[in-house]
Amino acid sequence: MTLRGVPMLACIPLLAAACKVNPMHEDRPARIVNPTTESRAELERVVSDMLFGADVALADDALTTSSVLIVERRRSRSLESPPLSGRDLGQPERFQLVRTGEQCLLIHGSDQARYELLETECVAE
Amino acid sequence: MDANITRLVISGLWLALAACGGGGGGGGNGGGGGGSNWTPGTFEPSESFAAQCAAPRSGTNPETGLPYADVQGTTLDENDFLRSWSDETYLWYDEITDRDPAGFNNPLVYFDELRTFDTTASGADKDKFHFTFDSEEWFQLSQSGVSAGYGAAWIILSQTVPRELVVAYTEPNSPATAPTANLARGARILGVDGVDLQTATSNADIDTLNDGLFPAGPGEVHTFVVEDLDSGGNTREISMTSVNVTAAPVQNVRTVASPMGLVGYLLFNDHIATAEEGLMDAVEQLAAAGIDELVLDIRYNGGGFLAIASELAYMIAGSAPTAGRTFEEIEFNEKHPVTDPVTGQPLTPMPFFSTTRNFSVPAGQPLPALNLSRVVVLTGPNTCSASEAIMNSLDGVDIEVIQIGGTTCGKPYGFYPTDNCGTTYFTIQFRGINEKGFGDYTDGFSPGIGPTAAVLPGCAVLDDFEHALGDPLEQRFQAALLYLENQSCPPAPATLDSGASKTRAPLSATDGIMPRTPWRENRILRRDTTQP
Repeated sequence: MTLRGVPMLACIPLLAAACKVNPMHEDRPARIVNPTTESRAELERVVSDMLFGADVALADDALTTSSVLIVERRRSRSLESPPLSGRDLGQPERFQLVRTGEQCLLIHGSDQARYELLETECVAE
Repeated sequence: MDANITRLVISGLWLALAACGGGGGGGGNGGGGGGSNWTPGTFEPSESFAAQCAAPRSGTNPETGLPYADVQGTTLDENDFLRSWSDETYLWYDEITDRDPAGFNNPLVYFDELRTFDTTASGADKDKFHFTFDSEEWFQLSQSGVSAGYGAAWIILSQTVPRELVVAYTEPNSPATAPTANLARGARILGVDGVDLQTATSNADIDTLNDGLFPAGPGEVHTFVVEDLDSGGNTREISMTSVNVTAAPVQNVRTVASPMGLVGYLLFNDHIATAEEGLMDAVEQLAAAGIDELVLDIRYNGGGFLAIASELAYMIAGSAPTAGRTFEEIEFNEKHPVTDPVTGQPLTPMPFFSTTRNFSVPAGQPLPALNLSRVVVLTGPNTCSASEAIMNSLDGVDIEVIQIGGTTCGKPYGFYPTDNCGTTYFTIQFRGINEKGFGDYTDGFSPGIGPTAAVLPGCAVLDDFEHALGDPLEQRFQAALLYLENQSCPPAPATLDSGASKTRAPLSATDGIMPRTPWRENRILRRDTTQP
């Protein structure tokens, strides 16, 4: 399942405040620590924005045990033919959390767009 | 009047969509609006009708990031799109009876006509997978494996009063497995929020049951009356709060000593992205243990990413029988012999992937392999699509596939779900065939002697909810071990009353229906409108 066929720009206006790229530091895969209601909401909002406003459900512990977040079609199983599309030829969306200097950045795998998570605390793996 | 637990039949979904205004007008025939230029057997390109909608959408299409292309059109335009699109891409396009699109004032009703009505050798519908979905909901995404619920997979053993619903399996670290709930396979749910599940009849009570069993989102608190497997008939009341549960698609990886050597077992429930890593870990574990045989439990696996099925097939067989050979070749209708009509890409067979594909493990990592010459699969009616492809592909390269359990769902088909005007249409567009060109299992794979045309060696054994999955005493696993040892089956018919809980009424002898969905539309409990 390739969800998106149109490349994104690195920053979109809605996220301009949250989009900062600092090339002076090395990216290190990172995990979220001490997640809060605000950080969870921020992560969900940023992922949704990176996916053109799609409704995205994340686990409360998203990115707390791994630096990789995988997003796919929400599973829907009719009882006649669960799931609806049982022969999916596509790929999921991948995101990686990195720590760059003091910043926690979420990178979208398909286009390498980067967004800073301002409400989120993270540590390098 | 009585009420039943019933499967969500496609017609039920259609009714729900129609009620939500997902399509055009209200009924069936009666005019699609505007004058029809219908000429039987003549079709304009579907693009000339696409996104011309009776009720155009505005805003951004989350599939593309671009504004919706919808423009003002008519129901007839939507019908014309469906007619041409079906003629272009439906696998059995030449079996569609060409009807005047102006004769239908609801695209959903018209779409229902745009399929074959032939039946298979068993008398079942040749096309069992023709349906629609509301696009807004189809566009919804989630973290891989995440859905709102409790982490208990319910299965319906009896749809009629007295109903019977039990836990098929649970997800680790979920509300269902928390000490306060402690649900396990085989636990019966007798009541929800004060409503008796076995006997409820009113709409309000059915709604209460649905609301409790299938919470709309996290944070809902519901109470359940539970009869545990070894409770001696006693019941208890528990309360669970729904959360966004992360499913573990690969579970219960273990080994069992047998006269045939070391037998590996793994439960594979879902072809979601995280399964790639889970399967790789499981196979590494089993390979390290040095197993001689594998029992692959896919009785509840309805499919998903096809490439993950290919990876697993490779990991079972190894490189010698699979290198350079076809896992599955996709065939469209005869109008598209060399090119995928949706992607425009050349049609090339999918190989047995020997490296990871970036689902949950970075691409290009070599996959481990068990190098087995045979595998036992545990199956049932919920074994579907990509899961069946595992079986068919291995059979195609002469890996012996032994089937224990029930007949599979019979879905060698696939589709590209297509949105038009707010409805996503699913029409069968391709079928998958194996290395030997076989893909004729519309009636499912059956063990032993049938009843379908696609018969694999093995035994018909009913599901056993009185033992844990992976327990060598669980009847399907037990039958697998027996078959591996001496190629014989347990006495038929297998019964489910193993004596594990003599003081409790035995669970119904059925494979059950697994309604695993986080979506509200896919409700399972409803009044039986067929009864007076």
